[in-house]
Amino acid sequence: MSTVITEPLLHHDLRGIRRSRLKSSIFRPASMSFSRQFRCHGRIFYSFKPPRKPFIVRASSFGSAAIVETFDFTDVFFRETFPLRWTETVEGRIFVRLDKEKNDQNWQLTVGCGLPGKWILHWGVSYIDDVGSEWDQPPADMRPPGSVPIKDYAIETPLEKAPCTTEGDGLYEVKISVKPDSTIAAINFVLKDEETGAWYQHKGRDFKVALVDRPHDDNNIIGGQKGFGIWPGALGQLSNILLKGEASHSKEEGTDGASSNKKQEDSCLGGFYEELPLVKQIPVHNSVCVSVRKCPTTAKNILYLETDLPGDVIVHWGVCRDDAKNWEIPVAPHPPGTTIFKRKALRTLLKQKEGAKGCSGLFTLDKDILGFLFVLRIKENTWLNSMGNDFFVPLSNSSNLVQSIKDQSETTHISEKTDGENEEVSDSVYTDGIINEIRNLVSDISSEKNRNTKTKEAQESILQEIEKLAAEAYSIFRSSMQTFLEEAVSESKAVDSPSKVSSGTGSGYEILCQGFNWESNKSGRWYKELKEKAEEVSSLGFSIIWLPPPTESVSPEGYMPKDLYNLNSRYGTIEELKDLVKKFHEVNVKVLGDVVLNHRCAQYKNQNGVWNIFGGRLNWDDRAIVADDPHFQGRGNKSSGDNFHAAPNIDHSQDFVRKDLKEWLCWLRKEIGYDGWRLDFVRGFWGGYVKDYLEASEPYFAVGEFWDSLSYSYSVMDHNQDAHRQRIIDWINATNGTAGAFDVTTKGILHSAIERCEYWRLSDEKGKPPGVVGWWPSRAVTFIENHDTGSTQGHWRFPGGKEMQGYAYILTHPGTPAVFYDHVFSHYQSEIASLISLRNRNKIHCRSTVKITKAEKDVYAAIMDDKVAMKIGPGYYEPQSGSQRWSLALEGSNYKVWEAT
Amino acid sequence: MEVSVIGSSQVKAVRTDFAYRVLGFCSSRRNDVSFSRKSRIGIDRNIIRLRRSATGFTLKAVLSEQDRATPPAPALSRSHPKNGVSLYVGLPLDAVSEASTINHAKAISAGLKALKLLGVEGVELPVWWGVAEKEANGSYNFSGYLDLVKMVKKAGLKLHISLCFHASKQPKISLPEWVTQIGENDPNLYFRDRSGLLYKDCLSLAVDELPVLGGKTPMAVYKDFCENFKSSFSEFISSTITGISISLGPNGELRYPFDQGRSRKSKLPGVGEFQCYDKNMLGLLKLHAEASGNPLWGLGGPHDAPRYDQMPDSNSFFKDHGGSWETPYGDFFLKWYSQELVSHGSRLLSLASSVFGDTGVSIFGKVPLVHSWYKSRAHPSELTAGFYNTVNRDGYDSIAEVFAKNSCKVILPGMDLLDDDFPNITLSSPQSLLSQVRAACSKHGVDVSGQNSSAAVFPEGGFEQMKKNLSGPDGCCSGMLIYERMGAYFFSPEHFPSFTAFMRSISQPETDMDDLPQEQEVGANEPFLPTVSESGAHLQAA
Repeated sequence: MSTVITEPLLHHDLRGIRRSRLKSSIFRPASMSFSRQFRCHGRIFYSFKPPRKPFIVRASSFGSAAIVETFDFTDVFFRETFPLRWTETVEGRIFVRLDKEKNDQNWQLTVGCGLPGKWILHWGVSYIDDVGSEWDQPPADMRPPGSVPIKDYAIETPLEKAPCTTEGDGLYEVKISVKPDSTIAAINFVLKDEETGAWYQHKGRDFKVALVDRPHDDNNIIGGQKGFGIWPGALGQLSNILLKGEASHSKEEGTDGASSNKKQEDSCLGGFYEELPLVKQIPVHNSVCVSVRKCPTTAKNILYLETDLPGDVIVHWGVCRDDAKNWEIPVAPHPPGTTIFKRKALRTLLKQKEGAKGCSGLFTLDKDILGFLFVLRIKENTWLNSMGNDFFVPLSNSSNLVQSIKDQSETTHISEKTDGENEEVSDSVYTDGIINEIRNLVSDISSEKNRNTKTKEAQESILQEIEKLAAEAYSIFRSSMQTFLEEAVSESKAVDSPSKVSSGTGSGYEILCQGFNWESNKSGRWYKELKEKAEEVSSLGFSIIWLPPPTESVSPEGYMPKDLYNLNSRYGTIEELKDLVKKFHEVNVKVLGDVVLNHRCAQYKNQNGVWNIFGGRLNWDDRAIVADDPHFQGRGNKSSGDNFHAAPNIDHSQDFVRKDLKEWLCWLRKEIGYDGWRLDFVRGFWGGYVKDYLEASEPYFAVGEFWDSLSYSYSVMDHNQDAHRQRIIDWINATNGTAGAFDVTTKGILHSAIERCEYWRLSDEKGKPPGVVGWWPSRAVTFIENHDTGSTQGHWRFPGGKEMQGYAYILTHPGTPAVFYDHVFSHYQSEIASLISLRNRNKIHCRSTVKITKAEKDVYAAIMDDKVAMKIGPGYYEPQSGSQRWSLALEGSNYKVWEAT
Repeated sequence: MEVSVIGSSQVKAVRTDFAYRVLGFCSSRRNDVSFSRKSRIGIDRNIIRLRRSATGFTLKAVLSEQDRATPPAPALSRSHPKNGVSLYVGLPLDAVSEASTINHAKAISAGLKALKLLGVEGVELPVWWGVAEKEANGSYNFSGYLDLVKMVKKAGLKLHISLCFHASKQPKISLPEWVTQIGENDPNLYFRDRSGLLYKDCLSLAVDELPVLGGKTPMAVYKDFCENFKSSFSEFISSTITGISISLGPNGELRYPFDQGRSRKSKLPGVGEFQCYDKNMLGLLKLHAEASGNPLWGLGGPHDAPRYDQMPDSNSFFKDHGGSWETPYGDFFLKWYSQELVSHGSRLLSLASSVFGDTGVSIFGKVPLVHSWYKSRAHPSELTAGFYNTVNRDGYDSIAEVFAKNSCKVILPGMDLLDDDFPNITLSSPQSLLSQVRAACSKHGVDVSGQNSSAAVFPEGGFEQMKKNLSGPDGCCSGMLIYERMGAYFFSPEHFPSFTAFMRSISQPETDMDDLPQEQEVGANEPFLPTVSESGAHLQAA
C-alpha cells in the first residue's frame, strides 16, 4: 500500500532550481534522489513519530489583540512582506463504473471525478477485429454531447457536473452508452485535467474497459483490478498530482456480482465499480509580513510577524549576532508557547487572528541581536522558506544596514510528504552498518561546521565565477568552430559571394533527403523504420535529412499542430524521435525538423463556441490569432501574409507569441537535437519574423516552403517566370538570407520543359537558369517532388518516368538539391546515388557556376564549375574538349553527365 | 578513491549493496525508465558524497532510521586520498595558429581562470614542429607559444609541454613546410603500408638517423628543436613548465601508424596493417634477415596478414591457432618490427633526457593503449602497432625498460575506458591492457601518468573509471592526469558540469567542503530539509 507521488519531467525541486545553473546541474541529480528517497520512504518516519507533537504548544496568553494594538507602526524601521508560495493538497476520487442503463439493454460506462476541475475524458475504442492496441474513434451515436474528435482516432469529452450528486458539490462525470450488439471490444481512455494539464493514466498506460470477453494479457484493464497510475502531462507540466493508488475500495455491482476476472472467464459482460482516491496539488499564494520597531522603554526590538496562511502556523526561528547568520537561541524569556528544538532553534505557534484568516506573533529581541532568522511550518510537514534560504530580518539599528532579502525573497514550497501506510522495508544487516557509519560521521563533521559555514559563501561565488568563465569560453569556442568551417569553405572556392556557414546555406555542400512521404504516419512507427535506414541515407551521400512535423497534430501527417510541446505523434514518440536524431548524428547527417509556425489548432472554444483557445504549455488565447480570418475570431493584428484557412493563423506580430515560439525552437534544438528547420507554409507570415526565429534558434540550415498557391496553370506556361521567382526571392530577402527556400519555379519549368519537350525553357533571357537558382543559387533548395506534390497526394506530380532527368538537373546544378524519399527508396536509387557521389566528388556546391551550353527544343546542356557537364533531353550533345577533356561519367534515360579529367 | 577512503573492503561491500538497495527501491516505485536512470545517477553522487563529506548522511540517516538499534559498524575513516591527483587539462591543439598567434585567446584566458578556480593543477600545451619551425630548418618562431606560456603563468597554472614532431588532421596542423617539400620528392620519408599508402603525419622511424632532411638526420633536427625550445623557455622551465613529453610517433604515441588505412565508417576496428614497406624499413628488414641467416625472410612483410578493416581470422597470419605469428618466421618478423619501435623510442627518449635532464622537469613519452583484440591469443592490433605482445610474450617489458633507462615517465591514454564500452566481438580489453602496462612499468620503477582517451564525446561512466584508475590499489604513481581537451565541447553544458564534479571529487578536501549542498549548513539549525530534522527530533525523543 503505497503513496505514489508524481514527479513531472520538469522536476520542481526548487532547492535545485534556486541555484546557479552550473551548480544545479552538478547537484540536482543528487538532491532529486534525496527527495525521491525520502518521499518514497516517507512512511518510515511515521513509524517512529512519537505519538505527541512536543513542539506544538498552544499559546494562550500570547499575541493578543491588545498587544497588537500597542504596536506602533510609526517606529517601524523594518517592514517587509515576503510572498509565500506553496502547494495545497486536495483529496478526491476518481471512479469508473460500468452498469446497465435503467430501462435499456445498453451498458453504460461512467467515469467521474470528485475534485473540482476542468476534467476531460480523452478516449477511443477498440473494435473486435482490431489487432494491436490502436485507438479508433467510436461511432457517432456513442459520443456524448460536447464531444470533440481528436485527430481521427480519439474523442475528447468534458466531464459535466453531475445533476444529482451525493458527493457534495464536486462531482464531475461523463457517461458513455454502449450498445450490447456493438462491435466494440473495449473502451480506452485517459483522464485529463485541463487546468493543470496533467494526465491520468492507469499504471502508465491507457485505462481499458473490456466490453467483450477475449483473451488479453493487458494488465491495465480495470475492473476488478486495483490501482491507478498516473501519467504526468507529456510535457511535464508542473502540476503535482498524487494518486493514492491501490487503496481503492472496489465494490461490485451489476448483475452477477462476481469479480470481473471471473466474469471474463464466464464470457459475459459484468458491471463493476472502481473508486480510487487521488490527491491533487494546487498552488497557493500567501504572504508573511514582518515589521520591527524599537521598544522605547526597554531598548529592545519588537518584531511583529503576521501571515494569512490558513491553519496552525509554527515559526521555527533563531537569532544571529554576526553576519554569518549562524543560528542561536536567544536567552529566555521566549514568547509564550515556545519550545526549544534540538538546542538549535525555537518553535513558536502563531496566534490565530480573531475574526480574520491568518495568524500573527510578537517577538521581543535584545538589542545586540543583529538578525532574526526563521522559516514557517504549516500542516504536518510543509515548510516554507525564502527561495531556499532562511527568512532573514536584519535588526541592526543603523538604518543603512537595514537591508532586506527582498530580491531573493520569492518563497518556495520546500517539500511535503503525505501519510502513507507502513510498508515492509527489508531490514538488512548492511543498512545497519551504513547508519552507524553515518552517525559517526555526523559527529565528526559537526566540529568542522563553523569553518565550513564561513567558507560557504566564498565557495558559492567561486562556483558562479567558474560558471561564468566556462560559459564565456564555451561561446567563443563554439563560434570559432564556425569560423573554422567558414575558412574551410572559402578556401575551396568562393564564386559569387564569400562563402560562409549560414543557416541559409549550411556549409554550401549540403544535399537534402526528405525523410518521409504522405503515408509515413500510417504505421505509427516511422521514426523506428527510418532509423533502420539512417546508415543507408548517410552512405548515399546525403548530409541533411528532413523529418516530418513532430508535434501533436489534428491531422495524422502532422501539419495541423496542436500542443507544440507534445512530440508524441503518429510518427512515434518523443523518445523514438530523439533516438532517431541521435542515430542520424552518429552517421553524420544533420536533421531538419519540420516546424509549422503559420497556424496552430486550438484546444478549446471561446464563449462563442469558436475554437480559438490554445492548450498545452503554450496556452495562448485569441490574441495569438490573426484578426483577418473570420472563422476563428482572432483578436490579434492582421496577418502579415496569406491565410491558411483550415486552422487559426498565428499572429506573429505579438511579442509573446514570438517569444514562445523562439523558446520552443530552442527547446527543439536542445531537447531533440534538431540541427535546423524546414519551415512550413511561410507564405503565411512575414519573412522578417522568420529571421527573428532563426537568429534565436541558430539553426545550421533552414529552408522555407514558399509555395504560391497554384497560380501555375497546366496550359502553356510563360517562358518568363520572373514574377514567380521574384516572390520567393522577396521572401528570402525578408529573412535577410537566413533561410533558403524551395525552388518551386525550377520545378515548374522542369515540368514544362520535360513534359512538352521544350528544353529551351531552361535558359532565361540572360542565359541563366530560369528558377530561383538562377538568381540566388545559394538560397535555392531545388527539388522535383515532395509529400504534397507527389506521394499519394499528387497535387503537382513531376512528369512520370522522367524523374531522373529532373535529378540530373538539380544534382549537377548549384543550389542545394533535395531528393524525395519515394525516389531515394525506389529503383532510381542507384542512379541518384551516382549523381550525388559525382556531385560530392566534384565539390559542386550551392554557389557553383553554371554555363548553359545548349538550350534547344530537345536538349539542354550546361557545364558547372568547368568540372561537370550534363545534358538532358533526347537531343544530341557532347561537351567540347577545350582546356579540359571530358569523360562520360553517368548515362541514363535522356540524360548524360561528364566529368573533366 | 573509494578504496583509499574506506578503511576495509568489508565496508566497500556494504556500500555497494546499499546502493543497490536504494536503487531497487526507487525503481520499484516507478516504471518510468528515464526516472530510474536519473535516480541512479543521483545515487552515485550520493555515495560519493557519503564517502567524502558531511553531506549525505543526514539524509541517509532518514532512509534507515528504523535500524538505529543495531550494533555499531566500523567507522568510516575521514582520511582523504593523499591529496588527490594533479590534473592537467589539454589546451586546444590549435591554441597557437600556424601564424604564431594565439587562437581564441579570450576563450583560453577565461578557460584558464575557470580551471584555476576549479583547482586544476595545470594545462598541457602541444608545441608543434609544423608551427614553430615552419619556414625553414633552424628558423624557429616560438613567439605564440611564449605568449601562451605567459598567459598560463599569469593564471597561476602549471604547464606540461608536448613537443609534437607529428602532424594533426583535425584541426589541420601539418609537418613543417620545408619537411613536406622534401617529402614530395622523397616519399621514403614516410611510413608506407603493403599497398603503398603513405602516412604523412610523421616521419618514418627508419629515417631517424639518415641524413634525409637537407643533409641532417631527423634526430639532429629534433635535437636542435628541443635545445632551441629549452633556451627560448629557460625562464619558465621547471617553474611554470613542470613536465615535457616528446612525440614518439603518430599522434605523439610510440607506435606505427598501423590504423592509417582503416575506414572510418567501419564499426569494428580491424586488425590494422604492418607499416614496414618504405624503402628504408625494407632495407633494415633485409639486413636483419640476412644477418639471421634467412635472407628470404627479408623480402617484405608477412604476405598473409589481413587488411586494415578485416578481422584477425580473415587471413592466416593472426589466426588464433596455427597462425603464422606463432611460426619461426612470424617470431622473426615481429621481433624485428617491434625492436625497431623500441629502438626508435629509446633514441628519442635519450635525446629528450640529454637535453632536458638537467632542468628538473619530468620527461614523458606516450604509450598507446591498443586494446582491440587484446583478448585473442595473437593480439593482432598490438602486433601491427609494433608491440610484440601475445599470449606467449610480454611486449611491454622492453618498452618500460627503455623508459626506465632514460629516467622517463609514461603517459597512458585510455584511463577512462571500460571493457564494457566495446563490443565483445572486438575482444577489446582496455582495462586488462592498462594493468599489464602498469605492471611492466612498476616492475622497472617507471612512473605512469594517465590521460583520457580523447574521444570526441566523453564516454558515459568515463569519469568514474578514471577516478578508479587514479586511486585504485595500483593507481597512478606519479599522480598526474592529462585530460583532453579544452574546446567548445569541454565547456559545453553537456560536459563541463560533469567535469567539474569529477574535478572536485578528486581534488583536495578543502574543495570538497563546498560539495555540501547549501542547505546542509543551515540544516542543523533549521529544518531546510524538514523531514530530516523531524526524524532527528523523534530520534532524540524516543
